[in-house]
Amino acid sequence: MHCGSGTEEQLVDSKSEIFANGFWHNNAIFAQLLGMCPLLGVTTSAENGFWMGAATLVALLGSNLVVSLVRDFIPSNVRIPAYITIIAAFVSMIGMAMNAWMHEMYLILGLFIPLIVVNCSILGRAEAFASKNTPLDSLVDAIGMGAGFTFALVLLGGVREILGQGTCFGFNILGDNYPDVLMFILPPGAFIALGFILAGVNIINRRMADKKAQQSLHMTQIPSSLETQQ
Amino acid sequence: MKFSKEQWHMIKALLMVAVFSTIFLGVTNMLTRAPIAQAERQALMDALMQVLPKHSNNPLQDTRQITLPKHKHATTFYVSRNQDKSMSGIAWETIAPDGYNGSIRILMAVRPDGSLNAVRITHHQETPGLGDGMMNVSWLDHFVDKSLANTRWAVKKDGGEFDQFTGATITPRAVVKAIKKGLEMFDKQRAYLLEDKKPVAKELTNDALR
Repeated sequence: MHCGSGTEEQLVDSKSEIFANGFWHNNAIFAQLLGMCPLLGVTTSAENGFWMGAATLVALLGSNLVVSLVRDFIPSNVRIPAYITIIAAFVSMIGMAMNAWMHEMYLILGLFIPLIVVNCSILGRAEAFASKNTPLDSLVDAIGMGAGFTFALVLLGGVREILGQGTCFGFNILGDNYPDVLMFILPPGAFIALGFILAGVNIINRRMADKKAQQSLHMTQIPSSLETQQ
Repeated sequence: MKFSKEQWHMIKALLMVAVFSTIFLGVTNMLTRAPIAQAERQALMDALMQVLPKHSNNPLQDTRQITLPKHKHATTFYVSRNQDKSMSGIAWETIAPDGYNGSIRILMAVRPDGSLNAVRITHHQETPGLGDGMMNVSWLDHFVDKSLANTRWAVKKDGGEFDQFTGATITPRAVVKAIKKGLEMFDKQRAYLLEDKKPVAKELTNDALR
């Protein structure tokens, strides 16, 4: 389990920046490629993706909040077992609650619910953010990260469901004559769809970066010689 | 052995985390135990309603526990009855151990004459989009009215009557085989299963059922 927390820049101050960081710039799926197991495993439909994301979001909220609250009490050399215990407790509670009140979805998601415990992005956030920030900031971070993760799962689940079965959230989109493309429901389809989505995300990111560069250029009027260097 | 101050601190911290996690888990377990049991009962009830013929009793309470030959655990049989208390059908869960990915649990309901009333899949881990085609009610409806006598029990590929579906043969093969076995069991144990009195303890042994 490698939890790539090294790529973070933690010099954030405002709440909206923390959220934007979690949702997009540091998105567990798009930017860090963490949590691939549930991503590829359960996203055969948009609905499955949504509830998997929601369960992860709740686990993140709980673990980030508690880890942040006890951050001064846990000695740093036992922090990992302590964090994992906290995360495992929350995930077990979520599993029991889903079994009780969302029985059908619990049966569909099955093994992937307990596997949230080893979702790198959760331990990663406890380690990289919640252990160094206030409870409120940690909650905002959890919401951003969790929403970003859910967004990625729903996007991939939606794409696979539309291409594979011609439906989205169970609604018929491409008509009854649509020939189901089984490959998109099967594991290879997950990898192929994810590849195209990541390519799209990179295009968007590059456009955004170009725009930013142009704006700062207009503001500071950097000589054109510097522009070509960048 | 003496612990240093830091070591005591670590022990205290881990102990506290463990104790609080356990407390929270215990409370959640207590709060969810009844709803989980209720949800499972409801799921079973829904499935029974779908497979059993029209009835005027509560099949969840009209049950029989019988340990079948070569089974470790007792199988629960759910009985549905007409207005005049005569048996209209009997349902139980049978297991197809040879699915593509683990075993498939099938709830099957048989009428007293030995024909199938309906079947439903209650648990499986087959490939989404391939093997789980067996969840389709339109496919499961092929089994309605089938009995040992009037049917060739195999998928079409093997010269039988049941459609395999695109890309998946192992799953339907396993399901067809398990249902056939269930019918054979019913045929053998008919006297015990249709007996209106609950079988006495002595008859529950494997020898008596063989």
